[in-house]
Amino acid sequence: MNIPIKIFFSMLLFLFTEVTARPVSYPGGWTVMLMNNNYKNSIHTHYSLSTNTSVGYKLEYIRENEYSLNALQINRLLKRWNEPNSQANLYIKAAIGNANSHKEKFNKKSSLAGFFGFSADWENQRYFISYDNRYNEAGDIDSFYQQSLRFGIAPYIGDYGDLHSWLMVKLEHIPEAHQNFSLTPHVRIFKGFHLLEFGANLKGKAMLNYIFRY
Amino acid sequence: MQKSLIKIFILIVLFNFFFSTGNTRVIYAYVNGLVCDFCARSLEKTFEKEESVKSITIDLQLKVLTIVLKEDKILEDSQIIKLVNDAGYDVKEIKYEK
Repeated sequence: MNIPIKIFFSMLLFLFTEVTARPVSYPGGWTVMLMNNNYKNSIHTHYSLSTNTSVGYKLEYIRENEYSLNALQINRLLKRWNEPNSQANLYIKAAIGNANSHKEKFNKKSSLAGFFGFSADWENQRYFISYDNRYNEAGDIDSFYQQSLRFGIAPYIGDYGDLHSWLMVKLEHIPEAHQNFSLTPHVRIFKGFHLLEFGANLKGKAMLNYIFRY
Repeated sequence: MQKSLIKIFILIVLFNFFFSTGNTRVIYAYVNGLVCDFCARSLEKTFEKEESVKSITIDLQLKVLTIVLKEDKILEDSQIIKLVNDAGYDVKEIKYEK
């Protein structure tokens, strides 16, 4: 990808914002998120203390650099804009824990690790746009920045309790990754407590996410 | 005189029967930010904990929360606004069934 296109996408990514799924639920609500894409696999479980704050645990395996992260994560809703036909949110998230390398060259070393980032989204019943970014630090093992932008459109508008569907596309940018831009068309469906996302990026790498809330 | 007192007594009993016994109120709260199934679930979880609420239904198209109260229970506007805020949303308007 040539430099002007990279700059264009980078600027675009900074102008908008993304959320994979809301990092804060209703007070007393538990959420389990399983995320798998071309770069990593993760499980994040959190408990919402209020509508503004959730705390939880994240286990993540970064396949490209072969290390795992175990971390305590806190998510905070900074601001919500409730409008008659739309909603927008701004979140920050931070985690601290331990990274364990599985690479021979690091002699399976461990390091203090963590990340910090923000997420934002806007949606109405027909359209969805979100942005997410994160800076990851794992000492000598790895450090990387990632950001992603997602657009969605609902082919039909369901009522409460119906099966809801979204056609979405996610553009992910990880400058340090082997494949630093990744475009992933996918489908999101959810009903009740369950949300499922599946798709594949343009290189054919699968994306499969599942979220359960209760 | 005695007949009149009996008539008045019967009228009072009938009045209480029709206008007090089984008096359930229905309230409609129009909510800003109610755009998804998950938002509705958050409201449902919050209101089902409220002792005076018998049941709720949510219409995502109209963005309205219909609250049915238990017999002879009340829920002030300020309480409704607080519960909706606690769930993460804002009340636009509250109406009562006529």
